[in-house]
Amino acid sequence: MQKWKKTILMIGGIGLLAALAVVLYVFLKPHRDVSKEKGVQLTAQALFDAFKTNEADANVRYLDKAIELNGEVADVNTNQDGHIVVNVKTNDPLFMINCTFKTNPGTLQPGQTITFKGICTGYIPDMNVVINEGVLVK
Amino acid sequence: MKFVFVFLIGILFLGTQAEAQKVFGTRNGKITFASPTDDDVKSTNNEVASRIADNGQITFSALIKGFKFKYAEMQEHFNDQYLESNKFPRADFKGTIVNLKEVNFGKDGSYKVSVKGDLTLHGVTKNITVAGMIEIKGGKPLANCKFVIRMKDFNVDASSVTETVNAEVSCQYQ
Repeated sequence: MQKWKKTILMIGGIGLLAALAVVLYVFLKPHRDVSKEKGVQLTAQALFDAFKTNEADANVRYLDKAIELNGEVADVNTNQDGHIVVNVKTNDPLFMINCTFKTNPGTLQPGQTITFKGICTGYIPDMNVVINEGVLVK
Repeated sequence: MKFVFVFLIGILFLGTQAEAQKVFGTRNGKITFASPTDDDVKSTNNEVASRIADNGQITFSALIKGFKFKYAEMQEHFNDQYLESNKFPRADFKGTIVNLKEVNFGKDGSYKVSVKGDLTLHGVTKNITVAGMIEIKGGKPLANCKFVIRMKDFNVDASSVTETVNAEVSCQYQ
């Protein structure tokens, strides 16, 4: 085979492999597993205070971070897709830390103090700070 | 004295009016969107905060980082490159039911509604009107609507992936 043909075939082969690698990277990259991350530890009240006082600053500190929170369960519900959602109290009765659990946390009762970990997705004024991918720590 | 009396009556009247208004809310409504041209581009947010009042006012708030995709890499691109969720962490809608007279919040049934209001996404606010359905069951409303979002309208440059997305909102209120 002529040398130039070999070169073209080689470049084509490398290009094909690179494209395949990109496709595999996009489709096989795993989602974050918060249970394996070390969370920023604080109380539910402290997280609420941080967002209420200065949302922009709290976004820089907590948005998209793994957070490990301690607080008192207000209520336990199921969302429209069947996942367990736990609202954790703050000192404002209308404002909750709303956590959607990735794994079933078992039986939780209102008034129970729990520690859980999840990813903070942000703040909705007058409603809640949202945590998803939640896992129960204790 | 007369002024004080009128003032007190006014306060009482306003108080009665405020009390009469019924507001339903949810912290865990659902929004899904999908590209009409690529089946892989679809996402769900199950932490939509929404309130609907029997005076016709309706609000929705969704955190951009709460949208989940099947593929992690796609989720990252959506947040970092297209919606810039660190800069614009939330999408908000605030509007009113245009045909409120046709909805009876006190009576179970399905009611077709037209909702008009401001949608803020990616830092851009647009006035939109969408058709939807409110179903009252056991005194609790369930709101559903479908509408199309043009990426360009909200300065989202996602033309390499999709020009529009079909959005679907479903909120069961308490």
